[in-house]
Amino acid sequence: MSLALLYVAAFAAYVWHFSSQKALAGRVATGLLLLAILVHTFVLGMYTMELGVPPMAGRTGAVSTFVWMLAIAYLSVEVSTDERGIGIFVTPLLVALQGLVAHGAMPTDVPQYFAAPFVAVHVGALLFAYASFALACVVGITYVLLFRELKRRTPGVFFQRLPSLQVLDRMNMRAVWIGWLLLTIGLVGGAVWLRDVSVQMADDPRLPHMTLTDPKILMALVTWVIYGVLLASRRWAGLTARRAAWLSAVGFALVLLNFLPVAYFFARSHNFA
Amino acid sequence: MHLVLVGLSHHTAPLEVRERMGITRSMVPAALDRLSQDGCDDAVLLSTCNRTEVYAVAPDPSSMGERIVACLADYRGVSREEIDAALYVRTDADAARHLFRVSAGLDSLVVGEPEILGQVKDAYKIANESRGTGTVINRLFHGAFAIGKRVRSDTGLAEGAVSLSYAAVTLARKIFGDLSSHHFVVFGAGEMARLSAVHFHQHVASTTIATRRQDRGEALAAEINGQVTSWDARFDALVEADILVSATGAADLVVTELEMRRVLAARRRRPMFLVDLAVPRDIAPEVAGMEEVFLYNLDDLRGIVQENLARRQDAVAKAERLVNDEVAAWHGWLRSRAAIPTVVALRTRFERVRQSELDRLAPRLAALGPEARQRVDEITRLMVEKLLLTPTEQLKAIDDHETMDAYSAALRRLFALDEDAAASESERAAAAATPPRPIL
Repeated sequence: MSLALLYVAAFAAYVWHFSSQKALAGRVATGLLLLAILVHTFVLGMYTMELGVPPMAGRTGAVSTFVWMLAIAYLSVEVSTDERGIGIFVTPLLVALQGLVAHGAMPTDVPQYFAAPFVAVHVGALLFAYASFALACVVGITYVLLFRELKRRTPGVFFQRLPSLQVLDRMNMRAVWIGWLLLTIGLVGGAVWLRDVSVQMADDPRLPHMTLTDPKILMALVTWVIYGVLLASRRWAGLTARRAAWLSAVGFALVLLNFLPVAYFFARSHNFA
Repeated sequence: MHLVLVGLSHHTAPLEVRERMGITRSMVPAALDRLSQDGCDDAVLLSTCNRTEVYAVAPDPSSMGERIVACLADYRGVSREEIDAALYVRTDADAARHLFRVSAGLDSLVVGEPEILGQVKDAYKIANESRGTGTVINRLFHGAFAIGKRVRSDTGLAEGAVSLSYAAVTLARKIFGDLSSHHFVVFGAGEMARLSAVHFHQHVASTTIATRRQDRGEALAAEINGQVTSWDARFDALVEADILVSATGAADLVVTELEMRRVLAARRRRPMFLVDLAVPRDIAPEVAGMEEVFLYNLDDLRGIVQENLARRQDAVAKAERLVNDEVAAWHGWLRSRAAIPTVVALRTRFERVRQSELDRLAPRLAALGPEARQRVDEITRLMVEKLLLTPTEQLKAIDDHETMDAYSAALRRLFALDEDAAASESERAAAAATPPRPIL
């Protein structure tokens, strides 16, 4: 719960910065987010020491790790570009997701096959990929908001507070590229892991469902195709920045769908908690 | 000491008078020398296209004001009759308030414009480097820099573009970010086109001028170091450029929807920013419907400028409050300085008494050890410090000159401070007359 409160404090500071544009507010916002990340790192580190592997299995562990990665991804973008305008859009996502699992139980034990190196590659890469897509989605939405103001010739609050369209487009495409590469690594890592542990897991009821017909695995592949098409169209087919921004938002909607409802109501292959 | 301001600005003087009284940057050191010859040796001269002002420190503000006016008129070769009506003379808090308002952009032609703070800093730097500046001027100008910065950061007074050209550059930046790798094209070579070209050329990679009047195009290209292309090749230039300002006098459209579609196809749908400053319009309004095009016309830009100006007016009241606070702080400091000669004389007097008592008791104190004698010296010094602390603070806190003069006179009389000063003076004179001891 305290982690969610720290993210709430960071969100409030980003609201203050967005409305006042004071340098002090910006520094406070960045400082609070950094504090939240440090505390979060400590918490996840403690669980890792206890379990022997990062606590990424199960809903609470996976979502919390995802929030931590998204916060790191955003903060690195903020520090590298010195732009705080999109913090107000990213931090609510951190608050909502961390709040969602605030009362959930972190994993206390994990099956032995979770210690295999490819499981860390699979889960870690996928979570970071989803964090990148989340960031791309938020940046894409801010792009569309600013684009609308400029197109309607009524520059307003987004015009004054957000970075330029070109900067937002670059941030969006960079996040999608990183996310897609990590998604590829994660999917390949998962396939290799499955091959390695299929004997060890022979009696596991989830094993028969680890095929392309499983909704979670199928959705992950569809997501990979959508982001791949986005990148290819942007590079070779002249897809405009605005459409790319929309597509990155739609892609993340699929990711969210796969990450939460599909995984826990329909899929039978990934029920680890 | 008092602060005196003598000057004229766009509020009081027409352009012809400001032109005649204007002093270019390179002439400022010579003008300061001239003021110094007339007895004004601690001054800053601020001269921009909208104002010429002298800030000086003097014991008698009215006579100094007169001397500065006479000096400026003589230096610029204008008669007093020509400038008297336009001149203003202000002193102390009023003069400080004026400078703080100038530095904050509150006194500018376009409220909140950013250049003036740099010009104030430059004027101070020149004065400081050429003739040196005293404590009062230093404190005043550092206060002006601080308030200039604070007003801009805390009130939003300088936010938003307030000229058509600047608004266009701001919009272009919001679309493309850094413009240094982008190319700019201007259609036409009239005054609007020229202003846009001059403004954009400072930020973009290259500027191309396309106009039916080749001679005017070449003249403009020479002025801004740009390039000219023929009118028929204007769409080829657009394929490479990202920003277009069109300001021709053509009666018909010079960019139709069909032509724009061809250009965009050749550009692989990279976005474009088009500004139509012509009346009647140069660019077909339908072009605005194309996804990759951001089209702004004269009315759109005017709307943005007016909105920004209105927003700045809202920030004026807050900025004035900040200026008033800074003026109060500065004036309090200046008033406290008037007490300094009396405070110094009083402290000298007390110290003299302390020393003479210690000298008188020296034979008795000789029986004490060196550490005890040092303690006696320290205790007596602390007693004097404590006795003088409250009168010093009270004196510095007096906020009008008459009361200050009366209190100072009373103190001087009660403690015979003037006799003390005379004694010190004669001691110094005697010391100076004594020949130096030969070095053995």
